[in-house]
Amino acid sequence: MNNMWILNMGFVALLICTGLYCLLTMKNMVKLLIGVEIIAKGITLALIASGYARDNMLVAQSLAITVIVVDVAVIATALAIIISINRHTKSLDVRKLTKLKG
Amino acid sequence: MHLFLMIGLVAFSIMAVLSRDLLRSAINLAVASIFLAIIFFRMNAVYAGVFEVSVVAGLITVLFITAIALTRGDQEVVENKRHLLIFPLFFLILVIIDILVMKNLLGKIPAMVSSETGTFGEVLWKQRTFDLIGQIGVIFAGVLAVLALFRQGEKNHHGGKE
Repeated sequence: MNNMWILNMGFVALLICTGLYCLLTMKNMVKLLIGVEIIAKGITLALIASGYARDNMLVAQSLAITVIVVDVAVIATALAIIISINRHTKSLDVRKLTKLKG
Repeated sequence: MHLFLMIGLVAFSIMAVLSRDLLRSAINLAVASIFLAIIFFRMNAVYAGVFEVSVVAGLITVLFITAIALTRGDQEVVENKRHLLIFPLFFLILVIIDILVMKNLLGKIPAMVSSETGTFGEVLWKQRTFDLIGQIGVIFAGVLAVLALFRQGEKNHHGGKE
């Protein structure tokens, strides 16, 4: 059971690092959100895997559901902001957000 | 089987990051969510699995595809082409570090056993009530933010026409 938890945590680390790589290197705003989503997947997996190892699935599931709900609210708001920015700049490039003109 | 599912999850996540087409990225992300949901079902986390399939693989994919459809036709974002060279190197180093760290941890962590009683509903509604209140607050804040952003956009749009 414990070795399986360690295996799961290895994959969690891979997922979180992939998401961080995406956040650090990509220029497209939608891609940045995909990076956030991948990190959220890693965290949900970590919660469930820890609950499974500790035989504490009920609390782990309720925490995972909380993470998922908060994630949806964040993604919906961020996509609305991206669409709003796209109307102004006609682009999805984050580099164009450095020029703030009133 | 578990290892295969985990590898599928990581592989589809990487494809979502590296894919040039945004639509393909969104679909790869949805497939990764389905892999994650199957992993949850296999770990007896039925409720989390159902949420993962319906909300993350369903709702978030629809939101992404709608946003991509609304912003399509504008200038394409030029990504750095070095990703295809840098990412495999980064990932290889990451996997090596990961294996070394996890190998050292094998057998060192004591067995964690603490069984709990009750049903999922009791735990969610009685023990985690504060989380639920927070969730409701976050959802309302999200809805209000989206409404405010779109209303502002429409005002600007009309202003531009006049």
